Amino acid sequence: MTAPLLSVKDLSVTFRSDDGDLTAVRGMSFDVMPGEVLAVVGESGSGKSVTSLAIMGLLPRSARVSGSAMFDGRELIGADLKQLRKIRGKDIAMIFQDPMTALNPVFTIGSQIVEAITLHNDMSDKAAWERATELLNLVGIPDPKRRVKLYPHEYSGGMRQRAMIAMAMANEPKLLIADEPTTALDVTIQAQVLQVIRKAQAVTGAAMVLITHDLGVVAGLADRVNVMYAGAVFESGDIDDIFYRTANPYTLGLLGSIPILTARVSDKLTPIPGAPPNLRRLPEGCPFRPRCVFATEVCHGSEPDLMAVNGGRHRSRCYHIDKVAEARAGSTV
Amino acid sequence: MTQPILEVNDLKTHFPIRQGLFRRQTGTVLAVDGVTLYVDPHETLGVVGESGCGKTTLGRSILRLIEPTAGTVTYRGESVTGADKDRMRQLRKEMQIVFQDPYASLNPRMPVRDIIAEPLRIHGMDRKEANDRVGALLGKVGMMADHGNRYPHEFSGGQRQRIGIARALVLDPSLIILDEPVSALDVSIQAQVINLLEEIQDEFGLSFVFIAHDLSVVRHISDRVAVMYLGQVVELADRNQLYETPAHPYTSSLLSAVPVADPNAERERKRILLEGDLPSPANPPSGCRFHTRCPIAQDVCRVDPPELREVSAGHWAACHFPTGPGDSLINQVQRLGRDLRLVEAREH
Repeated sequence: MTAPLLSVKDLSVTFRSDDGDLTAVRGMSFDVMPGEVLAVVGESGSGKSVTSLAIMGLLPRSARVSGSAMFDGRELIGADLKQLRKIRGKDIAMIFQDPMTALNPVFTIGSQIVEAITLHNDMSDKAAWERATELLNLVGIPDPKRRVKLYPHEYSGGMRQRAMIAMAMANEPKLLIADEPTTALDVTIQAQVLQVIRKAQAVTGAAMVLITHDLGVVAGLADRVNVMYAGAVFESGDIDDIFYRTANPYTLGLLGSIPILTARVSDKLTPIPGAPPNLRRLPEGCPFRPRCVFATEVCHGSEPDLMAVNGGRHRSRCYHIDKVAEARAGSTV
Repeated sequence: MTQPILEVNDLKTHFPIRQGLFRRQTGTVLAVDGVTLYVDPHETLGVVGESGCGKTTLGRSILRLIEPTAGTVTYRGESVTGADKDRMRQLRKEMQIVFQDPYASLNPRMPVRDIIAEPLRIHGMDRKEANDRVGALLGKVGMMADHGNRYPHEFSGGQRQRIGIARALVLDPSLIILDEPVSALDVSIQAQVINLLEEIQDEFGLSFVFIAHDLSVVRHISDRVAVMYLGQVVELADRNQLYETPAHPYTSSLLSAVPVADPNAERERKRILLEGDLPSPANPPSGCRFHTRCPIAQDVCRVDPPELREVSAGHWAACHFPTGPGDSLINQVQRLGRDLRLVEAREH
């Protein structure tokens, strides 16, 4: 069996604040295999973005990070800045929701891609500019020879997102972390950018961690899925396990909450009652219990572990996996 | 035949672009440019389109929160665009609006009770009566009566949107314009608010204009749907007609771009990817405004703007070459021998 490219073990992140400590990520463990797309799904405050920032060493100093993240044989948690800089932008690249936070407004797109290339490679300026133009072409920027010399503000939103993808792919990273890469885009532009991400991933063979709240994007892109709630993984499995053999009440609730584009008759949506918990004061027992329709006495006790479903890679943090599976089989979603 | 509750006829809202020292007008943004539609009693009309298509300006122009440049709006047969200030105030009791951003649309320094009661006091109801009504409404939108004493910052996004809905309901309106009411909310909360909107519509017999960019949500909640592109309605039909047999290539492309939360469906899907970006509404293309991105555009489309016409009963489209049942956009693209941009949604 191949070794995982990224192996995260028991990762926790706590922020200090005046109102008490806030634990945003609670003992996350997951692997990313070479070449695979792992989607991390969750709502605001579930800890999905903080996890990736912790792995990249991009959290503010006030954040306390514990646990381990082994990338290609190297430990990332606690690594010094010099080591991290060698990895960031080379072996691990990131795509953000808002390209304007990642692009420098006073430099041309080309010079920023060239910088990313020459920082990690011994390459002449001329060759690097040619490579930058090639990359823009790869992500479908029309007339790349001219546009490589333009500034970010001269690009449209969709083009900026493509330019950021081009920059991320510049050094053929082994791992791409994409944090809500299409959330700010209109639907026709989103379809273009998703296509570019698929292509870029296929060309370079990079693995990808795709952070998103959109289950439609997940269905079109991911191989495996981690569903997060209250700073922990609640369900983890192959994409078909998550969508068709759902084994966690929270995942089931998410699937019941979204209207289906192709549904002729609109049955009432079945939302999850209540609201996500305050991370400073998690409820006793299972954090999802107050909103859960399957909850019983046992859920008040201790938080359930992430347990194997049918002995495979599919796992769920729930005492009532069987009941959820039964409900899933009976529903038409 | 029932009289529509709202009729919009050739509505135009243009914004001047001013530049330079003397603020000379150098251009015009055609935000809404000749929209005609109606809404029946108890009906939900969905309005979809991408950013910049004019859907938000349309909603605000109907209520004259933005003064339209030309055209008419009629409420139960009475002219809204011709109403004077006093009459307009009366009409606004009948027509309310809920905004997208529940953070920006509630006054942070007022307790929720006063936020909801403010319209009542403006319209002259005494405090005791107003308080009773607010308490009842808070219950209707799924909140507790004692929530009225708290301030907006004490509530989550979903709860704030419930407060916005209660404020819209307080004057007992017949029509509510909902401008992206759920797009700022997490999915589990979004579903709660959609269900709430459907419940209050049934209970109070309301008509909705539901403005949104999320096509799945719009299909779920609407009876009929209007699709907008660069300030104009390009297609208008019963929701199942529109989603199953779209007549306008823009509608087909929009629908094919939406990711569906069903991995098997995504594996089998073929998409038509639109090239390029939305043109500027300050300088829309000649002829059919969609022709620069349309995969089946022909010479006539570059010159001659198509009228919105009925392609089948109740199904309107503004296209010279509408697609139909059994003649999908993909078929037409193939017949024309155009460069096929169809892509399998994913490799497998």
